[in-house]
Amino acid sequence: MTPRGLHVDPRDAVPIWKQIEEGMRRLVASGALAPGAAVPSVRDLARDLQVNPATVVRAYQRLVEAGLFAVRRGEGTFVAEAPPSLPKPERTRALAEGALRFASTAVTVGASRDEAARALEGAFARLAPPKEGEKK
Amino acid sequence: MSATAAARTERLTVRYGLTTAVDAVSLDVPKGSVFALLGRNGAGKSSLLRCLLGWQKATGGRCELFGEDPWNRRARLMERVGVVPEEPDAPREMTPRQLGAFCARLYPSWDAKGYEARLSRFGVPQATPFVRLSKGQKGLTQLSLALASSPDLLLLDDPTLGLDPVARHAFFDEIVAELADRGTTVFLTTHDLAGVERIADRVGILKDGRLLLLEETEALKSRFRTVRYRSEVTEGRTDFGTELDELEPVRVKVRGWGIEAVVSAFSDERFERFAAKDGIVDAEAAPLSLEELFLAVAGEGKDTIR
Repeated sequence: MTPRGLHVDPRDAVPIWKQIEEGMRRLVASGALAPGAAVPSVRDLARDLQVNPATVVRAYQRLVEAGLFAVRRGEGTFVAEAPPSLPKPERTRALAEGALRFASTAVTVGASRDEAARALEGAFARLAPPKEGEKK
Repeated sequence: MSATAAARTERLTVRYGLTTAVDAVSLDVPKGSVFALLGRNGAGKSSLLRCLLGWQKATGGRCELFGEDPWNRRARLMERVGVVPEEPDAPREMTPRQLGAFCARLYPSWDAKGYEARLSRFGVPQATPFVRLSKGQKGLTQLSLALASSPDLLLLDDPTLGLDPVARHAFFDEIVAELADRGTTVFLTTHDLAGVERIADRVGILKDGRLLLLEETEALKSRFRTVRYRSEVTEGRTDFGTELDELEPVRVKVRGWGIEAVVSAFSDERFERFAAKDGIVDAEAAPLSLEELFLAVAGEGKDTIR
């Protein structure tokens, strides 16, 4: 079964495998796909999204390489139990790249820094609603 | 190269009298890939396919299936090939069940269970004479027959032409499942660009018998964009589009509000350089669907500048 919230748009400039990869990352980040949860088989996902299975394989391979998914032989593909932690330098670089993209968007739409910071907070909140008893 | 190609042509040429239907076309379809050959009616798609099937002898050049010449090795090669013709074609009075039984004797690896399972999944009545099936049911019967021979290569000649959306969906669903299960190579010609957009690894565009373009779908989609902009200087200009040179426009239209062009060498850096030029206002770039891309490359063009 295709997880809710995973869509691909062949008209998008972003390649379909990348849309699947990013969609899965979002689902994991938001908790919609919990650690250890089974992810749809390549065959099922390809059929549901009506995409070439090779495209799904490519997305899954990248997620496995990134440590986000794990393959258990004979059982299928699962979300990794422990979220991968990148080595510090790589993490810094990934964050800086993402931040630059976001900052560019903010500047081009004419948003103030405060507005941008609030949007970022909002994005965090949407991904992971604060758990009960946990401070903010 | 030919060892890994399921189908290949090399300067393949087909002439009918003075008309050249296929003009020195070279292409190869790697095993396990999905190749879509696009072209308008009369572009030469069916002639090319008929050569690959060994139904027609090439006037020049060569073609191969699995490294062998289909004209001379037709009988042997056809055991490995499943075909869905453009016009569903079977003896009128035979029912899908009888067709299955008939074909089972022709193919060593016939999958009778799979055949029946597909027919019932598609909702095709098995005891109705072929002639009384709907167009969609005929097409889906042909696909079931083609897949039941467990082919290494599936050749589809505009298979979804005239099918309703439900039948189309079932058709592509089945092909995707087949790809996942068996890694079957698929060579299809089609008008159904929305249908193949997601599954084709590579596309070729044929126009007037010539192969205009042969490329990975992804690469193709990343280098084509629709660019829209306004130019501050419009009065008396006849050279619209020249400012786009670096992006290699294939089609430029002057609209009331500005200029719309399809470019074939898009990159972020090139676009930024273009947008920063003097007199260029409100430049934006949008991706194209395969259909829009096809129209830009192969459509008739009185508005084509180059």
